[in-house]
Amino acid sequence: MYKELFDVVRNKKANVVIRLSDMANIPFDPDNTDYQAYLKWLEEGNEPLPADEEK
Amino acid sequence: MPIILDGTAGITTPMYGGSIAANAVTPVTGFKNRLINGAMVIDQRNAGASVTIGAANAYTVDRWQIISSAASKVAVQQNAGSVTPPAGFTKYLGVTSQSAYSVGSGDYFGIVQSIEGYNIADFGFGASGALTITFSFWVRSSLTGTFGGSLYSNNASPYRSYPFTYTISAANTWEQKTITVVGDTGGVWNTTNGDGLQVRFGLGTGTTYSGGTLNTWQNGNYVQPTGSTSVVGTNGATFYITGVQLEVGSTATSFDYRPYGTELSLCQRYYQSNYPSGVAAGSNVGTEYELYTAAYYGPIAKAQCNVIKFFPPLRASPTITFYNRSGTSGQWYWGPYGAGESSVSTTVPNPGSNCGFVAQGNSPLAGTNIGYGYYTASAEL
Repeated sequence: MYKELFDVVRNKKANVVIRLSDMANIPFDPDNTDYQAYLKWLEEGNEPLPADEEK
Repeated sequence: MPIILDGTAGITTPMYGGSIAANAVTPVTGFKNRLINGAMVIDQRNAGASVTIGAANAYTVDRWQIISSAASKVAVQQNAGSVTPPAGFTKYLGVTSQSAYSVGSGDYFGIVQSIEGYNIADFGFGASGALTITFSFWVRSSLTGTFGGSLYSNNASPYRSYPFTYTISAANTWEQKTITVVGDTGGVWNTTNGDGLQVRFGLGTGTTYSGGTLNTWQNGNYVQPTGSTSVVGTNGATFYITGVQLEVGSTATSFDYRPYGTELSLCQRYYQSNYPSGVAAGSNVGTEYELYTAAYYGPIAKAQCNVIKFFPPLRASPTITFYNRSGTSGQWYWGPYGAGESSVSTTVPNPGSNCGFVAQGNSPLAGTNIGYGYYTASAEL
């Protein structure tokens, strides 16, 4: 399970997702294998939890 | 150490008494062994502790990944069982089977290192003129018989596999094995920062990932040939490896010993942390080694940020995990040190790069504070 992250500095959704099993910050980098696994998880029809404090 | 001058073999130096009797002299510098941490000396994640692998792939000693389709079938540890390594080595990677598991058709277990594409680009795979390479290693098992593995590329479908076998003749005895592989003229190979070539030692696989024509490059994803010994099939079985080397040429040469600092730096392109050597990530280590970083009060209330630079830069923007001094993941302490500090959620608000990142915590206090704790950064293949 993953959770989106909000960038309070830029006031927008971050290009990072949190993997809740270990609270790892996964960047949206196509060369990152954890991000590749996240994309595959999305393709399977899953959706991440929304970020805590969207403004 | 004797040096032999020979018109055919050139300059050779017999050493160590393994099956590789003569070892070509190679330059002190360079990158003869394309595998990193082949002597299993670097263990940043676990600091020598045993890890029982779950139902997902997991890294153990640096650069070596255990592929596992079912939980709790193998335990893995640097120098498991505390046997004497082969001459010239001090460490090995040890796997111990945790049950007598009958693999299902889709099961797979193995030890894998993925070599980055940049480090095999000169092999010229995927075209005529592909170079011959040689793969050598020391192995010791409580089991005897025919074992299997493969070289593998998953860069582009159809994937490419080269299944091979080797025989362990005597139980609980170190044996050195050599496998020479004619370069693959087929397939599409990664030659940049992606997954270039995988070396895979099979520990037991089902029919989906077993098979292929032995000693031949072909399409398919074969972890090991059909009929290979299943280590996970025997409760308590052991399988140890070290001195693993993959080099250009048709002859296995002496192991490419690199300085410890060089080997560590090579590993840190894929994984690094601010834990000191000998301390496993996520440990309850207290305050002694905490990274202190000055934080500034961000433009949005309670956003405390600081910048951390990687050395060396990683292969890609890494996955970052924060730990506080107690080992709680996802948190650092923020605020004035001591009274008033608070362990709070800490994140990376933007991807940063392979050179560094910004940590952001929500301090309970305004003003000038610091953020402190531990992190790991992983850009493994």
